[in-house]
Amino acid sequence: MGADLATRAELVKLARALGTTPDGVAFAETLGAGDIRRLRERVVSTLYDEHRAAFRRVAAITRTLPTSLNVRIALRAFSPLLAARIASEMPPERAAELANRMPVDFLAEGCVHLDPRRAEPLITRIDRARVIAVVSELIRRGDFITLGRMLDASTEEMLSDLSTTVPDEALLRIGLYAESGTQLTRAMRALPAERLRAVIHSALTGAPDVRAAALAVVSRVEDDELRGRLAAYAAELDDATLTELLHTAVAEDAVTELLTAVAAMPEPARTRVLALPALRDSAFHPGSPNTSCGTTSP
Amino acid sequence: MRSDVREQLRPWLGEDVAFLERLSDDDLARLCDALATARRGQAKALAAASDEAYRQMPGPLRRGIARLVGR
Repeated sequence: MGADLATRAELVKLARALGTTPDGVAFAETLGAGDIRRLRERVVSTLYDEHRAAFRRVAAITRTLPTSLNVRIALRAFSPLLAARIASEMPPERAAELANRMPVDFLAEGCVHLDPRRAEPLITRIDRARVIAVVSELIRRGDFITLGRMLDASTEEMLSDLSTTVPDEALLRIGLYAESGTQLTRAMRALPAERLRAVIHSALTGAPDVRAAALAVVSRVEDDELRGRLAAYAAELDDATLTELLHTAVAEDAVTELLTAVAAMPEPARTRVLALPALRDSAFHPGSPNTSCGTTSP
Repeated sequence: MRSDVREQLRPWLGEDVAFLERLSDDDLARLCDALATARRGQAKALAAASDEAYRQMPGPLRRGIARLVGR
Protein backbone atom coordinates (compact mmCIF):
# COMPACT_ATOMS: atom_id res chain seq x y z
CA MET A 1 0.00 0.00 0.00
CA GLY A 2 1.41 3.43 -0.91
CA ALA A 3 -1.05 5.54 1.06
CA ASP A 4 -0.06 8.20 3.57
CA LEU A 5 -0.14 7.50 7.28
CA ALA A 6 -3.60 8.94 7.98
CA THR A 7 -5.12 7.08 5.03
CA ARG A 8 -3.50 3.82 6.12
CA ALA A 9 -4.88 4.24 9.64
CA GLU A 10 -8.37 4.81 8.19
CA LEU A 11 -8.05 1.77 5.91
CA VAL A 12 -7.17 -0.37 8.93
CA LYS A 13 -10.30 0.92 10.71
CA LEU A 14 -12.49 0.36 7.64
CA ALA A 15 -11.13 -3.17 7.35
CA ARG A 16 -12.00 -3.78 11.01
CA ALA A 17 -15.55 -2.50 10.45
CA LEU A 18 -16.00 -4.80 7.47
CA GLY A 19 -14.34 -7.77 9.14
CA THR A 20 -11.60 -8.04 6.54
CA THR A 21 -7.91 -7.19 6.11
CA PRO A 22 -6.43 -3.80 5.10
CA ASP A 23 -5.56 -5.37 1.73
CA GLY A 24 -9.23 -6.29 1.39
CA VAL A 25 -10.18 -2.59 1.45
CA ALA A 26 -7.18 -1.24 -0.50
CA PHE A 27 -9.69 -0.29 -3.23
CA ALA A 28 -10.82 2.62 -1.02
CA GLU A 29 -7.35 4.18 -0.80
CA THR A 30 -8.06 6.77 -3.51
CA LEU A 31 -10.82 8.28 -1.34
CA GLY A 32 -8.29 9.67 1.15
CA ALA A 33 -8.53 9.59 4.95
CA GLY A 34 -11.57 11.89 5.31
CA ASP A 35 -13.85 10.06 2.89
CA ILE A 36 -12.72 6.62 4.06
CA ARG A 37 -13.82 7.70 7.51
CA ARG A 38 -17.22 8.82 6.10
CA LEU A 39 -17.56 5.48 4.37
CA ARG A 40 -16.69 3.64 7.59
CA GLU A 41 -19.29 5.60 9.54
CA ARG A 42 -21.95 4.59 6.99
CA VAL A 43 -20.78 0.98 7.09
CA VAL A 44 -20.95 0.98 10.90
CA SER A 45 -24.49 2.41 10.80
CA THR A 46 -25.62 -0.20 8.29
CA LEU A 47 -24.15 -3.15 10.15
CA TYR A 48 -25.16 -2.08 13.65
CA ASP A 49 -28.67 -0.94 12.70
CA GLU A 50 -29.46 -4.13 10.82
CA HIS A 51 -30.33 -6.32 13.81
CA ARG A 52 -31.11 -3.57 16.29
CA ALA A 53 -34.79 -4.29 16.74
CA ALA A 54 -34.16 -7.81 18.06
CA PHE A 55 -31.46 -6.62 20.46
CA ARG A 56 -33.72 -3.84 21.69
CA ARG A 57 -36.36 -6.40 22.57
CA VAL A 58 -33.85 -8.54 24.48
CA ALA A 59 -32.57 -5.40 26.22
CA ALA A 60 -36.15 -4.67 27.30
CA ILE A 61 -36.35 -8.03 29.09
CA THR A 62 -33.32 -7.17 31.23
CA ARG A 63 -35.31 -4.33 32.78
CA THR A 64 -37.63 -6.84 34.41
CA LEU A 65 -34.86 -8.93 36.00
CA PRO A 66 -32.58 -8.13 38.95
CA THR A 67 -28.99 -7.15 38.09
CA SER A 68 -27.44 -10.25 39.66
CA LEU A 69 -29.67 -12.52 37.54
CA ASN A 70 -28.91 -10.50 34.41
CA VAL A 71 -25.18 -10.88 35.05
CA ARG A 72 -25.55 -14.64 35.60
CA ILE A 73 -27.58 -15.07 32.41
CA ALA A 74 -25.22 -12.88 30.37
CA LEU A 75 -22.11 -14.73 31.50
CA ARG A 76 -23.69 -18.13 31.06
CA ALA A 77 -25.56 -17.61 27.82
CA PHE A 78 -24.22 -14.58 25.96
CA SER A 79 -21.00 -14.32 24.04
CA PRO A 80 -19.24 -10.94 24.39
CA LEU A 81 -20.49 -10.14 20.86
CA LEU A 82 -24.11 -10.70 21.81
CA ALA A 83 -23.74 -9.01 25.20
CA ALA A 84 -22.19 -5.92 23.59
CA ARG A 85 -24.95 -5.63 21.02
CA ILE A 86 -27.63 -5.95 23.71
CA ALA A 87 -25.78 -3.50 25.99
CA SER A 88 -25.77 -1.00 23.13
CA GLU A 89 -29.59 -1.01 23.30
CA MET A 90 -29.91 -0.79 27.09
CA PRO A 91 -30.15 2.41 29.12
CA PRO A 92 -26.46 3.20 29.79
CA GLU A 93 -26.92 3.26 33.58
CA ARG A 94 -28.31 -0.28 33.51
CA ALA A 95 -25.64 -1.55 31.11
CA ALA A 96 -22.89 0.00 33.28
CA GLU A 97 -24.37 -1.65 36.37
CA LEU A 98 -23.98 -5.03 34.66
CA ALA A 99 -20.54 -4.20 33.26
CA ASN A 100 -19.29 -3.38 36.75
CA ARG A 101 -19.95 -7.00 37.76
CA MET A 102 -18.48 -8.72 34.73
CA PRO A 103 -14.95 -10.11 34.26
CA VAL A 104 -12.43 -7.82 32.62
CA ASP A 105 -11.62 -10.14 29.70
CA PHE A 106 -15.35 -10.47 28.88
CA LEU A 107 -15.67 -6.67 28.89
CA ALA A 108 -12.53 -6.21 26.79
CA GLU A 109 -13.91 -8.55 24.13
CA GLY A 110 -17.29 -6.82 24.42
CA CYS A 111 -15.69 -3.42 23.78
CA VAL A 112 -14.58 -4.66 20.36
CA HIS A 113 -18.24 -5.24 19.42
CA LEU A 114 -19.87 -2.29 21.17
CA ASP A 115 -21.76 0.07 18.86
CA PRO A 116 -19.27 2.98 18.64
CA ARG A 117 -22.15 5.45 18.40
CA ARG A 118 -23.44 4.38 21.80
CA ALA A 119 -20.18 3.67 23.62
CA GLU A 120 -19.64 7.01 25.32
CA PRO A 121 -22.62 7.15 27.73
CA LEU A 122 -21.91 3.56 28.76
CA ILE A 123 -18.14 3.78 29.22
CA THR A 124 -18.36 7.01 31.21
CA ARG A 125 -20.67 5.24 33.71
CA ILE A 126 -18.47 2.20 34.32
CA ASP A 127 -16.18 2.30 37.38
CA ARG A 128 -12.90 3.98 36.47
CA ALA A 129 -10.79 1.18 37.92
CA ARG A 130 -12.66 -1.31 35.74
CA VAL A 131 -12.19 0.84 32.64
CA ILE A 132 -8.45 1.03 33.33
CA ALA A 133 -8.35 -2.76 33.74
CA VAL A 134 -10.16 -3.18 30.39
CA VAL A 135 -7.74 -0.74 28.75
CA SER A 136 -4.78 -2.75 30.11
CA GLU A 137 -6.30 -5.95 28.74
CA LEU A 138 -6.83 -4.37 25.31
CA ILE A 139 -3.23 -3.13 25.33
CA ARG A 140 -2.10 -6.66 26.20
CA ARG A 141 -4.09 -7.86 23.16
CA GLY A 142 -2.61 -5.10 20.98
CA ASP A 143 -6.09 -3.86 20.04
CA PHE A 144 -5.25 -0.20 19.50
CA ILE A 145 -8.17 0.34 17.12
CA THR A 146 -10.71 -0.37 19.86
CA LEU A 147 -8.63 1.73 22.26
CA GLY A 148 -8.57 4.62 19.78
CA ARG A 149 -12.37 4.46 19.74
CA MET A 150 -12.56 4.25 23.53
CA LEU A 151 -10.40 7.36 23.82
CA ASP A 152 -13.33 9.26 22.34
CA ALA A 153 -15.54 8.13 25.20
CA SER A 154 -13.08 9.05 27.96
CA THR A 155 -13.76 11.74 30.54
CA GLU A 156 -11.03 14.07 31.82
CA GLU A 157 -10.67 11.85 34.91
CA MET A 158 -10.25 8.75 32.77
CA LEU A 159 -7.68 10.51 30.60
CA SER A 160 -5.79 11.42 33.73
CA ASP A 161 -5.87 7.76 34.88
CA LEU A 162 -4.76 6.60 31.44
CA SER A 163 -1.86 9.03 31.37
CA THR A 164 -0.35 7.35 34.42
CA THR A 165 -1.09 3.71 33.54
CA VAL A 166 -0.65 3.33 29.78
CA PRO A 167 2.91 2.59 28.56
CA ASP A 168 4.60 5.11 26.22
CA GLU A 169 4.46 3.03 23.07
CA ALA A 170 0.82 2.07 23.61
CA LEU A 171 -0.13 5.73 24.09
CA LEU A 172 1.23 6.58 20.67
CA ARG A 173 -0.34 3.58 18.97
CA ILE A 174 -3.70 4.54 20.50
CA GLY A 175 -3.09 8.09 19.27
CA LEU A 176 -2.57 6.82 15.73
CA TYR A 177 -6.08 5.33 15.72
CA ALA A 178 -7.80 7.96 17.87
CA GLU A 179 -11.10 9.03 16.36
CA SER A 180 -10.97 12.60 17.62
CA GLY A 181 -8.02 14.98 17.48
CA THR A 182 -9.63 16.92 20.32
CA GLN A 183 -9.67 13.90 22.64
CA LEU A 184 -6.14 12.98 21.58
CA THR A 185 -5.06 16.52 22.48
CA ARG A 186 -6.73 16.23 25.89
CA ALA A 187 -5.04 12.88 26.49
CA MET A 188 -1.60 14.23 25.63
CA ARG A 189 -2.22 17.37 27.68
CA ALA A 190 -3.00 15.18 30.69
CA LEU A 191 0.60 13.90 30.67
CA PRO A 192 3.09 15.64 32.95
CA ALA A 193 5.88 17.42 31.01
CA GLU A 194 8.56 14.89 31.95
CA ARG A 195 6.37 11.95 30.91
CA LEU A 196 5.58 13.68 27.62
CA ARG A 197 9.29 14.20 26.97
CA ALA A 198 10.00 10.55 27.81
CA VAL A 199 7.21 9.38 25.49
CA ILE A 200 8.62 11.35 22.57
CA HIS A 201 12.23 10.35 23.27
CA SER A 202 11.46 6.65 23.63
CA ALA A 203 9.26 6.70 20.53
CA LEU A 204 11.82 8.39 18.31
CA THR A 205 14.52 5.97 19.40
CA GLY A 206 12.13 3.02 18.96
CA ALA A 207 10.84 0.92 16.09
CA PRO A 208 9.93 2.65 12.79
CA ASP A 209 6.18 2.13 13.24
CA VAL A 210 6.34 3.74 16.70
CA ARG A 211 8.30 6.67 15.24
CA ALA A 212 5.59 7.04 12.60
CA ALA A 213 2.89 6.87 15.27
CA ALA A 214 4.69 9.64 17.17
CA LEU A 215 4.73 11.79 14.03
CA ALA A 216 1.00 11.16 13.57
CA VAL A 217 0.30 12.21 17.14
CA VAL A 218 2.40 15.39 16.88
CA SER A 219 0.60 16.41 13.71
CA ARG A 220 -2.88 15.51 14.99
CA VAL A 221 -2.88 17.41 18.29
CA GLU A 222 -5.03 20.50 17.98
CA ASP A 223 -3.09 22.76 20.32
CA ASP A 224 -0.19 24.73 18.82
CA GLU A 225 1.53 25.16 22.18
CA LEU A 226 1.36 21.42 22.89
CA ARG A 227 2.54 20.57 19.38
CA GLY A 228 5.42 23.02 19.83
CA ARG A 229 6.41 21.31 23.07
CA LEU A 230 6.27 17.83 21.51
CA ALA A 231 8.34 19.03 18.55
CA ALA A 232 10.83 20.67 20.91
CA TYR A 233 11.26 17.38 22.81
CA ALA A 234 11.94 15.66 19.49
CA ALA A 235 14.49 18.34 18.59
CA GLU A 236 16.46 17.53 21.77
CA LEU A 237 17.56 14.26 20.18
CA ASP A 238 20.85 13.92 18.33
CA ASP A 239 21.34 14.26 14.57
CA ALA A 240 21.55 10.50 14.00
CA THR A 241 18.15 9.92 15.64
CA LEU A 242 16.54 12.80 13.77
CA THR A 243 18.01 11.51 10.51
CA GLU A 244 16.41 8.14 11.26
CA LEU A 245 13.16 9.99 11.80
CA LEU A 246 13.44 11.65 8.39
CA HIS A 247 14.01 8.28 6.75
CA THR A 248 11.04 6.82 8.64
CA ALA A 249 8.85 9.68 7.46
CA VAL A 250 9.70 8.89 3.84
CA ALA A 251 9.39 5.12 4.24
CA GLU A 252 6.06 5.38 6.06
CA ASP A 253 4.65 8.15 3.81
CA ALA A 254 4.51 10.47 6.78
CA VAL A 255 6.33 13.44 5.22
CA THR A 256 3.35 15.73 5.77
CA GLU A 257 3.32 14.80 9.45
CA LEU A 258 7.11 15.29 9.62
CA LEU A 259 6.91 18.76 8.10
CA THR A 260 4.16 19.71 10.54
CA ALA A 261 6.42 18.64 13.39
CA VAL A 262 9.47 20.43 12.00
CA ALA A 263 7.44 23.61 11.46
CA ALA A 264 6.41 23.48 15.13
CA MET A 265 10.01 23.20 16.37
CA PRO A 266 11.49 26.24 18.04
CA GLU A 267 14.51 27.96 16.50
CA PRO A 268 17.37 27.07 16.32
CA ALA A 269 16.23 23.42 16.41
CA ARG A 270 14.25 23.82 13.20
CA THR A 271 17.26 25.19 11.33
CA ARG A 272 19.36 22.33 12.69
CA VAL A 273 16.88 19.73 11.39
CA LEU A 274 16.56 21.43 8.03
CA ALA A 275 20.35 21.37 7.69
CA LEU A 276 20.56 17.60 8.15
CA PRO A 277 22.35 15.99 5.17
CA ALA A 278 19.46 13.51 4.79
CA LEU A 279 17.25 16.36 3.64
CA ARG A 280 19.33 16.58 0.48
CA ASP A 281 17.93 13.17 -0.50
CA SER A 282 15.65 13.30 -3.50
CA ALA A 283 12.77 11.95 -1.42
CA PHE A 284 12.38 15.33 0.24
CA HIS A 285 12.60 17.45 -2.90
CA PRO A 286 9.49 19.06 -4.33
CA GLY A 287 7.79 16.86 -6.89
CA SER A 288 9.32 13.67 -5.57
CA PRO A 289 6.81 10.82 -5.71
CA ASN A 290 7.47 10.04 -2.05
CA THR A 291 6.81 13.58 -0.92
CA SER A 292 3.18 14.39 -0.26
CA CYS A 293 3.92 17.96 0.82
CA GLY A 294 5.48 20.60 -1.43
CA THR A 295 8.77 21.80 0.05
CA THR A 296 11.23 21.52 2.87
CA SER A 297 12.46 25.08 2.67
CA PRO A 298 12.50 26.98 5.95
CA MET B 1 -20.99 5.44 -10.66
CA ARG B 2 -22.38 2.30 -12.28
CA SER B 3 -26.13 2.42 -11.78
CA ASP B 4 -26.68 -1.20 -10.65
CA VAL B 5 -23.94 -0.92 -8.03
CA ARG B 6 -25.29 2.46 -6.94
CA GLU B 7 -28.74 0.94 -6.52
CA GLN B 8 -27.28 -1.84 -4.41
CA LEU B 9 -25.23 0.51 -2.22
CA ARG B 10 -27.93 3.14 -1.69
CA PRO B 11 -30.04 1.28 0.89
CA TRP B 12 -26.86 0.40 2.82
CA LEU B 13 -24.89 3.62 2.66
CA GLY B 14 -27.65 6.21 2.22
CA GLU B 15 -28.80 8.41 -0.64
CA ASP B 16 -25.81 10.73 -0.55
CA VAL B 17 -22.92 8.61 -1.78
CA ALA B 18 -21.42 11.29 -4.04
CA PHE B 19 -18.16 11.04 -2.12
CA LEU B 20 -17.73 7.56 -3.58
CA GLU B 21 -17.75 8.86 -7.15
CA ARG B 22 -13.95 8.81 -7.17
CA LEU B 23 -13.98 5.03 -6.98
CA SER B 24 -13.79 3.17 -10.27
CA ASP B 25 -16.56 0.77 -11.26
CA ASP B 26 -14.35 -2.15 -10.24
CA ASP B 27 -13.61 -0.58 -6.86
CA LEU B 28 -17.31 0.10 -6.28
CA ALA B 29 -18.07 -3.50 -7.06
CA ARG B 30 -15.38 -4.52 -4.54
CA LEU B 31 -16.95 -2.27 -1.93
CA CYS B 32 -20.34 -3.80 -2.65
CA ASP B 33 -18.92 -7.30 -2.27
CA ALA B 34 -17.08 -6.39 0.95
CA LEU B 35 -20.23 -4.94 2.48
CA ALA B 36 -22.39 -7.87 1.40
CA THR B 37 -19.81 -10.28 2.85
CA ALA B 38 -19.68 -8.31 6.10
CA ARG B 39 -23.48 -8.36 6.40
CA ARG B 40 -23.60 -12.10 5.79
CA GLY B 41 -20.74 -12.69 8.22
CA GLN B 42 -22.40 -10.60 10.90
CA ALA B 43 -25.77 -12.31 10.45
CA LYS B 44 -24.08 -15.71 10.71
CA ALA B 45 -22.06 -14.75 13.82
CA LEU B 46 -25.12 -13.28 15.54
CA ALA B 47 -27.27 -16.27 14.65
CA ALA B 48 -24.65 -18.67 16.04
CA ALA B 49 -24.29 -16.57 19.22
CA SER B 50 -28.08 -16.38 19.61
CA ASP B 51 -28.54 -20.13 19.16
CA GLU B 52 -25.90 -20.79 21.79
CA ALA B 53 -27.55 -18.26 24.12
CA TYR B 54 -30.96 -19.99 23.78
CA ARG B 55 -29.35 -23.32 24.48
CA GLN B 56 -27.81 -22.00 27.70
CA MET B 57 -30.90 -20.19 28.98
CA PRO B 58 -33.27 -21.55 31.63
CA GLY B 59 -36.44 -22.96 30.00
CA PRO B 60 -39.05 -20.41 31.12
CA LEU B 61 -36.85 -17.48 30.11
CA ARG B 62 -36.06 -19.12 26.77
CA ARG B 63 -39.73 -19.29 25.82
CA GLY B 64 -40.29 -15.63 26.77
CA ILE B 65 -37.34 -14.43 24.78
CA ALA B 66 -38.25 -16.60 21.78
CA ARG B 67 -41.67 -14.94 21.74
CA LEU B 68 -40.20 -11.45 21.99
CA VAL B 69 -37.58 -11.82 19.27
CA GLY B 70 -39.93 -13.74 17.00
CA ARG B 71 -38.19 -17.12 16.90
